[in-house]
Amino acid sequence: MVISEQKHDDIDIVALTGRFVMADSPDVRERLKTLIDAGDGKLVIDMEKVSFIDSSACAVLISAFKGMQLKSGRLILVTSPVVQSLIELTRLHTIFEILPTLPAALGAFDIN
Amino acid sequence: MDTTLNTSSVITLTTSSDAKQISLLSEALHALCLYATGNEKCALDVQSAVVEALNNVVIHAYHNQPDHEITVCWSQQDQRLRIDIIDSGTSIASLPEPVLPDFEAEGSRGWWIINACVDEYFYQVVENVDRERTLRPGEKNENIAFAFPKSHTNTLTFIKQF
Repeated sequence: MVISEQKHDDIDIVALTGRFVMADSPDVRERLKTLIDAGDGKLVIDMEKVSFIDSSACAVLISAFKGMQLKSGRLILVTSPVVQSLIELTRLHTIFEILPTLPAALGAFDIN
Repeated sequence: MDTTLNTSSVITLTTSSDAKQISLLSEALHALCLYATGNEKCALDVQSAVVEALNNVVIHAYHNQPDHEITVCWSQQDQRLRIDIIDSGTSIASLPEPVLPDFEAEGSRGWWIINACVDEYFYQVVENVDRERTLRPGEKNENIAFAFPKSHTNTLTFIKQF
C-alpha cells in the first residue's frame, strides 16, 4: 500500500493506494493519529484508489473517526466501489461522511 | 507461497502465518474464483471471507507468530466453490455469532463479513494421535516408554454458489 499526505489550505489529505489490509493497518493508523493530533480538525482520507479493504482497515477508519470526534473535527472519506461495498456491508456508511471524489470532499469543507 | 494441482482438481496454496503473505494468497484465490465463475462479485466475496479467516488464523490461532503454515484448498464442483482453510494453531471452541458490534468497537466485524460473503461455512478440528515407541539404551522391554505426541488440524470450510 502507498500512503501519501498533502495539505489543501487547512485540510489534511491522506491518499491511500492499493490494498488496505491487516498488514498495512498499524502503519496507516500511526500516520493518521499523527496527522489528527497535529492537524486543524479537517481530514480527508482518499481511498478512491484502494483496490481491497478488510475489517482491520475498517477498525483504523473508526479509530480516525473517534480521534476527530475528540478534536471536534470533521473526517470525510472518499471511497472506491470496493471500499464502499465493505463499508455498507458493515453498516459504517451510517456513521461516516462519505463523498465520491476528492474535489467533492474538499468542496464540502468550503461550503460548511 | 507454494501451489499444487492434484488430479481431483483441488488447487492447494500453502503459505506462512505472516500477515504480509495474506494479500498474495487471497489475490491468487480471487483470480481462481474469477476464472471459474466469471463473476467479479462472487470472486470479491470469496476473497473478503478468506482474508477475514486468514486474519483470524494469524492473530488467534498462531498469535502473530509468522513461521507457521497455513494451507488453503480450492475446488469447484458444478456451480459451487469450496475453500478449506487449514491450520494447526489454537482451535476455536465455538464459532462466534455473526453479529455487528457497536460502532465504537473497532474489531469483531470479521465473522459478520464471512457470514455475508459465503453461502455456508463450518469448522472442524481433527485430532491426530501418533503413537511412538521409545526404547532407551540399557532399558529392558518392560520399561519401554510410550509417548503420545498429539497434533491437530483446524479446517474452516467455505461454500460459495454461483
